[in-house]
Formats: sequence, structure tokens, C-alpha cells
Amino acid sequence: MIALAGNPNTGKTTIFNRLTGARQHTGNWPGKTVEKKEGTWWHGETRFRIIDLPGTYSLSAFSAEEVIARDFIVEARPDVVIVVVDATNLERNLYLVLQILEMTPAVIVALNMMDVARDQGLQIDIDGLSQRLGVPVVPLTARTGEGLPQLMATAAQVASGPPTTRFLPPIRYSRPIEEAIARLEEAIRAHPQLAQGYPARWLALQLLQDDTFCQEKIAHLPGGVALCQQAREARISLEARYRTDIDALIAEERYAWIHRLVQEVIRGRPQGPTLSDRVDAVAMHPVGGLILFLAIMWVVFKLSTDVAAPFVAWIDLFVNRFLAHWVLEGLALVHLESSWFASLITDGILAGVGGVLVFVPVLMFLYMGMAIMEDSGYMARAAFVMDGYMRHLGLQGKSFVPLVLGFGCNVPAIYATRTLDSRTDRLLTGLLVPFMSCSARLPVYVLIASIFFPHFRTPAVLVMYLLGVLVALTVGFLLRKTLFKRSETSALLIEVPAYRLPTIKNVWMEMTLRTRAFLEGAATIIMAVSIVIWLFLAIPVNGQSAFADTPVEHSAFAAVAGVMSPLFKPLGFGNWQNASALITGFIAKEVVVSTLAQVYHVPQESPGPEEDLGFWAEARLAAISFFRATADTLKAIPGIVGIDLLDEEEPGAPPALGEAIRQGFEQTSGGRGALAGFSFMVFVLLYTPCMATVAAMRQELGGRWTLLSVGSQLTIAWLAAFLVFQAGKIFLS
Amino acid sequence: MLHAILHELQTASGPLTLRQLSRKLGVQESALEGMIQFWVRKGRLVVDDGAGGLSEMRVCHSIACGLRACPGPGACPLTLKPPIRFHLSS
Repeated sequence: MIALAGNPNTGKTTIFNRLTGARQHTGNWPGKTVEKKEGTWWHGETRFRIIDLPGTYSLSAFSAEEVIARDFIVEARPDVVIVVVDATNLERNLYLVLQILEMTPAVIVALNMMDVARDQGLQIDIDGLSQRLGVPVVPLTARTGEGLPQLMATAAQVASGPPTTRFLPPIRYSRPIEEAIARLEEAIRAHPQLAQGYPARWLALQLLQDDTFCQEKIAHLPGGVALCQQAREARISLEARYRTDIDALIAEERYAWIHRLVQEVIRGRPQGPTLSDRVDAVAMHPVGGLILFLAIMWVVFKLSTDVAAPFVAWIDLFVNRFLAHWVLEGLALVHLESSWFASLITDGILAGVGGVLVFVPVLMFLYMGMAIMEDSGYMARAAFVMDGYMRHLGLQGKSFVPLVLGFGCNVPAIYATRTLDSRTDRLLTGLLVPFMSCSARLPVYVLIASIFFPHFRTPAVLVMYLLGVLVALTVGFLLRKTLFKRSETSALLIEVPAYRLPTIKNVWMEMTLRTRAFLEGAATIIMAVSIVIWLFLAIPVNGQSAFADTPVEHSAFAAVAGVMSPLFKPLGFGNWQNASALITGFIAKEVVVSTLAQVYHVPQESPGPEEDLGFWAEARLAAISFFRATADTLKAIPGIVGIDLLDEEEPGAPPALGEAIRQGFEQTSGGRGALAGFSFMVFVLLYTPCMATVAAMRQELGGRWTLLSVGSQLTIAWLAAFLVFQAGKIFLS
Repeated sequence: MLHAILHELQTASGPLTLRQLSRKLGVQESALEGMIQFWVRKGRLVVDDGAGGLSEMRVCHSIACGLRACPGPGACPLTLKPPIRFHLSS
């Protein structure tokens, strides 16, 4: 019987499949859900059973796979254990080899992936390695089969050779440990049932490391209980002497032994900095990394605004012209074109939901940028750089993770604060998360920026994100100095993945999954709110209009929102329309845009006879304009680096709606519409988050802190927007 | 070597990457991963893959996010996946 052992991903299964071919069957290990693969291999006239053990990094009995592998080697006693080792990761793989050598002498090391090792310029002294380990080492490349015949010839030879009675594993621990092992071995050999059941040295080592599995196995055997007691006393004595756990001590000595061995037997060409190292020299530099991060965010926002603009225009055309027109035509067939139902469909649902759907391309490009950053491995580098800055500001570096999550959605970011050690850190981070501009706020920025800053959309949006981070860091710094005195920040080790080319499949999947979340939210929350807003807009309050036939400024919605509007006058956007959008934004930030689309009511113009081309002609035109929008999007890509291939400036917001909003802001700000628009964006960035975030905060931070957070955010938002507008009036006048 | 990992983290003035630590200690990065996993099992290092704490996003699903086929809290599509981090346990 031959057992195949090894770390995961060393080619063990490749070897197993090459040897057994179709002569294998798969089941489960008894009592476990771990897969067991067994096959047959013939060497001449001799039939061998080959068992493919689960891949494990060690045999420390922390997982079912480790227990299975270990118990099989010790109890089933295969004739040969072939340990498959990755030649390019020798230092890690040899740990398992050492542990197996302490269980059985019938071991062959299969040094696999020699082709990769050669490509990397590694030169391994095979004979030296074999000599130091005391067992055969066979180099091979399982993928091509090179070396496999030699491996199996060696296996057959070892299997048929005489059993080794006393085999000393290659590693000798420090003297006090060896003395303890020797005393335990002596006690084991004094009890035949113990000595016959398990390799003496291995059992001694396991008992010394307080292995409960072994203790349970021998407890019922003669001498078992006494042996466990002896081992316990030896362990206490050694731990008192070395002031560390005995298993940490033994592991430390194993790793040190392996490290010395690897230094002796491996020669490789000198490793100069790789391309990845050169990129990381910039990406992970405190200053260079920050600049690179800002530059990448610039590109992402450029994609979301300018490159997405042609599709934004197309969706507006499709929803607010084509769809709205033909829905009305359809309603006209059943004589409902002038009814309240038609108003509900066009002024309620289409205006509200359509107003947000227009920005789907914006979000898709944002999600694409985020997916590329993650899939390429860059996001981990950004986290590393930001961690350093946060520590300088007295913030827990680990807080960066929930804060980064907040750029997608604040709700899971609040829950992610649970990963922080202390209550103080969780509270502080939870209070800062709402300042992270979630993706739902992006449509608001793009809408306002497209209206008032058409040539500076990208910088305007980027400024909002940076402002949110700046406010969060500033508030965090102040809270650290006052309410939340600094606790010790623990050191952080970050696993930075290797750079890789993002795959189209992964990026597309991430992009579509996130967009779907947005669309399904639009189909539920936004539609529901749009209907409620339409209802309130349809109810007249002056007694002179009919239901669903009242001017919006005479509606119940306007009356309610109008109560709040004076609060926003000092901020430059004090009218009921803007106030209503901010009120409904409490439900979900995406609703701000849909509310603006509804309250800045832009009557749909029915096409004249010369413009009414018929359904199919208009559908064909819509399809053609889609392809034109696609072409324009591709032409807009070089615009990221300043190369303008577009024929004309693409509008970023629906023209009629944009003009209506512009006029509204101009009126409320005394002719300073752009300043008021920017002030509005600042308010949306900083004011209270959506009710789902508030609910999550209440759950994680408690009611008192949530109330404090909501109140302080409203205050900060009002003050910031006030500062922007009033200071802007002074400096720009 | 194993204890050197803890020492380096205790005395570090800022975050470290596995690669930086492997170069400091002169060990292969893959071997270092094995040593780190040892300390994670011993409870001396705590691993944080960003998913912890996202296991009870009841509110998220019911109110703000309309995603009916949510892949689960740990795989929320609206979150960025943070890098795996290890820190000394308190």
C-alpha cells in the first residue's frame, strides 16, 4: 500500500491520476465528509493500492484533513509514504516531510514541479537533500510524467525492502526536549501495547505537545494514563524553562532546521527586483502610493462621468421620450391618456424611476473600476498606504477596512466594524462610516456636476469623495483627542496578493452583480417612494385644482416640504423642491435624484405629426442611437488622458430636467446657481445617511450614539454647506 | 524564527506586508505563511478577512438593498473586498 501525502497544490492528485488512470474510485473517509480517493497501480506482477491522502500543510490535528492523514499513516501503516513536495516552495513543504519522518521511516520525497524550478533558476542539491533527510528524494515533473517511472521504481524498492526497526528522524531537538522525549519513549516501550500501536518517538512528541487525540487513543491502554501524566509533567517543566508553549518551541526548532537545510541545498540565480517589486515601490510608498491612489480614483471617476455620458443621454432619450411617448399612446388606446393613472405612470413611475435609471451607466462604470482595482490586487496596496496615514492621525489602521467598504454601501460598512478589537474603535469607526460617500450618492453628484460644472464633472465628483474622507479623518482625529482617548494600536500584517491581470469574466460578474443590486433597489424602494411622492404631488391644497391635475407648487408635497425650505436658504438652495429631495433622501440616497426629477416637473412634449414616426421607426431609431452611444463611449475613453475624439460635448444630465434644476438653483441663490449646486452636493455628502444605515448604527452602536451621530451629521452638513455658499459669495463677488 | 514574527510585529512602527516581513526574516514568503498560520491556530495572531461582522446584515437586505438573490452577507456585492490582515491578539 502506498500513501500519497503533501501540501495542497503540489501535484499530488496529478501523480495519483497518472498512476491509477481509470483504476480508481472515490468515496468518503469513514465518518467524515472528506473525499477519499483510492486506486490500483501495477509494478510488474505486484499490485499496489494507492491512497491519495487529503492535502495538508501539517499534521497538527487542527482539521479533519490533518487527522485523517495522520491517523492513516500511523494506524494503517502504509508500506511507503510518498510525500509530494513543490520544488519551488521547499521551505514550506518540508515541514510536513519532517512530521511524517517522525511517524514512519518508509518515506520517499517526490520533488515535483522541477520544470518550474528550472525556469526560476533554482538549483537543488538532490543528493544533499536526500542525505540530510535520510530518505530517497526523486525529482519529477508530474505534469509531463518526467521522473515518474523512477519514483515508482523507488517506491516498489522501498515497499519490498526489509522494515527498518530503529530509524532516527533527521531532526534532533534541543537537549532538554530530547531528554524528555527519551524518558517518554522508555516508558512507551515498557508497555508492549503502546509500543506496538504507535511509533514510540512520535507518540512521545505528541503527548509532550498535549495532543488530546493521542491522549484519548491511549487512555484505555495499559500504562496510558500514567504516560499522559508523565508527559504533562515534562511539558510543564519545559514550558517553565523556556517560557513558551512546548508546541511553539518544537515548531520553532523544526522551522529553524528546515531553514538551515534549505540554505544548504538550494542555489538560485540572484533575485533582483521583479516587475511587481518595482510597481510596489511606488504603489506602497507613503507619498507615491497616495498620489497613485488619487490618480487611479481620477480615472475611475472620469470613466463614471465623461465616458458614461453617452449612455446616460441614451437612457434619458429612451425612457423619457420613447417609452413615455408610447406608454401614453398605449393608454390612449383605452382612453386613459388624460387620467390620473396616466399621470401616475408618466409623472410618477417613469419620472421617478427613470430619473434614477439614467444613471445606471454611471454606476456600472464605477463598479467596473472598483472590480478592476480589486481583481488586479491593487486594492490591498491602497489599504496598506491608507493604513499608514490613519495611524499618523491616531486612528486604528484596521478602521480603514470598514471605511473603504462604506464607499460601496454604508450599511455593510457599519456591520464590518465588528472586526475591530475594542468597543472604542468600533464606536469611533461607526461614527465615521457615514462620511464615506456611498455609491448611491454618486448619481446626485453627477447630476448636479453635469448641470453646473459640465467641463469639470470629474474633478467635482472626485472632490466630493475626497471631502468625505477629509471630514471623516478630521472628525476622527478630533474624537480621538477628546471623547475617545487613544488606545494602543496593534501592529498589522497585510497579505498583499500578487498582481494579476483582471479577468473580463470576474470584472463583468462583479459589475453586473452590483448593478443588479442597484436596479432591484430601484424596482422596489425607488418605485414605492416615487408613487408616494406622486400621490402627494397630485393632491391639491389650494382647492382650485383637481386631483392629479394640480401644478406641483400647489400640491400637498410642496406644502409639506415648504415648511423645511427656509432652513436651506442660507445654504443657497432653499426651495421646497430641493428640501423635498433631501427629505426623501433619508429613505435612500438614490431617491434624491428621482425626487428632483419629479418635483422639477418637466412636461413631456408630445411629438407633432411631422415628428410622430410610428412605433417601429422610433424603435429602430432608438436602437441606432444605442449603437451610436456605444461608439461615443469608446471615443470618450481617450478623453481620460486628454485626447478628445468626441464631436460635441455630451450632456451628462437630461437637458430639460437639467435646465429646470438650474433655474431653480439660480432663483434660490440670487444668481449663484453653481455655488448653490456645489453647496447642495456638500450637504448630500455629509448629512444623515439613509434609514438603513441609521438602523444598522442603532444595532451596532446603540441608540444614544446613533442619535448623536445623526444630529452631528446634520449639523456638520449644514455648517459645511453654509460655509461653502457664504464664503463662496464673498470670494467670488 | 517563529517567535521572531511576533517580535517584529510588536516592534513595528507601521503596517508590514508578508513580503516585507519575509525579507526581514530571510525566509520564503510561502514558509512565512505557514508560520503565520501556526500563530493563528495558537490564537496569538488574529486573522481578519473583512467578512467577520457581516454575518447579520438583516437590516441591509430588508430595507436598502433590493437584491433579491443576495449571495449572502459575507459576499455582499456592494462591498469592496479588503485584503486579509493579521494582527496580534489583545
